[in-house]
Amino acid sequence: MRYIIVGGSAAAISAVESIRSLDHESSIDLFSDEETPLFSRVLLPYYVAEELSKPLLNFRTADFFEENKVTPHMGVKVTNLNVAGKTIETADGKAHAFDKLLLATGGKAIVPPIPGVDKEGISTLKTMVDAERIYNMKGTRAVVIGAGSIGVEACISLTRRGIKATLLEQLGQVMPTVFDAEAAGIVRKRIEDLGITVLTGEKALKFTGDKHVTGVVTDNRELPCDMVVLSVGVRPQTELAVQAGIEIGDLKGVRVDEFMMTSAPDIYAAGDVAETHDIARNSPFLNAIWPCAFEQGHFAGVNMTGKKLRYPGSYRRNSIGNFIGIPAISIGVTHAESCVMASAEDEFREIRVRTKDTYKKLVLRNGKVIGAILIGQTQKAGLLSILLKKQVYVADSIPLLMSDRLNFIDLLPILRRNADQFSEPEYKELMDTGL
Amino acid sequence: MVDKEKCTGCHQCELWCGTEIASISKELAKAINEEPQPVPRVYVEGKPFALQCRHCEEAPCLDACPNGTMRRDPETGLVYVNEPTCIACWMCVMVCPFGIINPSSSMKVAIKCDRCRNMGYPICAEVCPTGALSLVERKDYRKKKF
Repeated sequence: MRYIIVGGSAAAISAVESIRSLDHESSIDLFSDEETPLFSRVLLPYYVAEELSKPLLNFRTADFFEENKVTPHMGVKVTNLNVAGKTIETADGKAHAFDKLLLATGGKAIVPPIPGVDKEGISTLKTMVDAERIYNMKGTRAVVIGAGSIGVEACISLTRRGIKATLLEQLGQVMPTVFDAEAAGIVRKRIEDLGITVLTGEKALKFTGDKHVTGVVTDNRELPCDMVVLSVGVRPQTELAVQAGIEIGDLKGVRVDEFMMTSAPDIYAAGDVAETHDIARNSPFLNAIWPCAFEQGHFAGVNMTGKKLRYPGSYRRNSIGNFIGIPAISIGVTHAESCVMASAEDEFREIRVRTKDTYKKLVLRNGKVIGAILIGQTQKAGLLSILLKKQVYVADSIPLLMSDRLNFIDLLPILRRNADQFSEPEYKELMDTGL
Repeated sequence: MVDKEKCTGCHQCELWCGTEIASISKELAKAINEEPQPVPRVYVEGKPFALQCRHCEEAPCLDACPNGTMRRDPETGLVYVNEPTCIACWMCVMVCPFGIINPSSSMKVAIKCDRCRNMGYPICAEVCPTGALSLVERKDYRKKKF
């Protein structure tokens, strides 16, 4: 068997590990258009903040390819995928044949079509090259456009290096896809306490300056600045799949079946490029996050070896870590009204508990968890996450789920009620104790 | 393993784990006044039952960790946090299905049980006064009838 992996980040590396755990001999060739291998994309803000040097961005050791008998082709772009002939062509003119191929081409940072966006001093933050560019930018004032996870982290990273940052978001709150208004309020306060100016409901209209950016004009004012970070989101990098005639989903990702296979036989997709079934939304969705990429890479890798392993589906999970001083985690759908795929019979419920420093919210559909927000107290976030993943009925256990004293052992009766869904040995051994 | 018939919920395991593993002084009387406060890696929960990391065969924390800080010891299979490289992103906390990873804001590391991998025998089992906690091979544990 000859495996080809296109991509070099979480999904790709996870697939390599899964293939190698089952198939020790076959050849694996990995192609990435980035020069730097094995670095963790989600850590780039830490690099900008000067908190992690380049070697510490790696999520696998330098001997990973050797250990796993992988032939890496770094900085080599795959230009053509021939589905019928099962070959690829690369930018250096070479052709490679495969039996199974994984598309893990990831996402591309969106560059909004704002006049002047091509000026110097303006960058997205997605690749190592981006991170280096931002790190080397000169000046004391920055505007970060887009207050998603990367935008917030980029802003705080620049602030930690003494740069005066302004965070600009055209929607009405920070982290609009991650938090509801209440949680966003807590996070916003924390960001502002760090000395960052946060402007929401305000749109960037153009960039000023000759060659180099000198300001951002919004619908309310002009913000003078020396640098701009664009963090308005990512879209799947599907050029290769489109060229190969592989089916693209409604959300413009590569559509995969429950075995992570695309519309083309023996060609799989995983990670930010893939459009998968979202458990919380009960519809196809793009969940461009690290943990999903890693688990999808695992399922794709196992299926590529010929074993059949059904992917239960994805769901969004975000943690903003220590950037704002308190832990904040968000899972699945955080506003019931954002469930566009709801049918008339679906019954939604939101439960919230707010104290001075903590916030907890649970979103239920037909008595099953489809979303949660935890701020301040987050240690038990994984319990809610697993209840979402397994879609078990919990409507009769709301006081327990919302309690500060929520713990795994008290959840055992719920697990036991759904024992067929909790068949993993770790759950089983605790259920078997008879508690 | 944990024998629920014998666990009385005395919290001795928590006290000793917090002192022997987490504290600087290693003495209970001093440990309680330490800053940052030492935290145990075992939790007496529910009915009661002393729960610590299960060292899952397919551990979600290993997949979620974005820089290889969460590791599995190839010899023992134990999952542990390589504390010097932990960046406190709390992705492991977000995915742990047992809720046993503590996001320590004061120490800026994820804290969890490593089954005292550097000490040979886990302190919680050593100090348990009723023998509710003991070290048993996983395959024997799974065969045991409760």
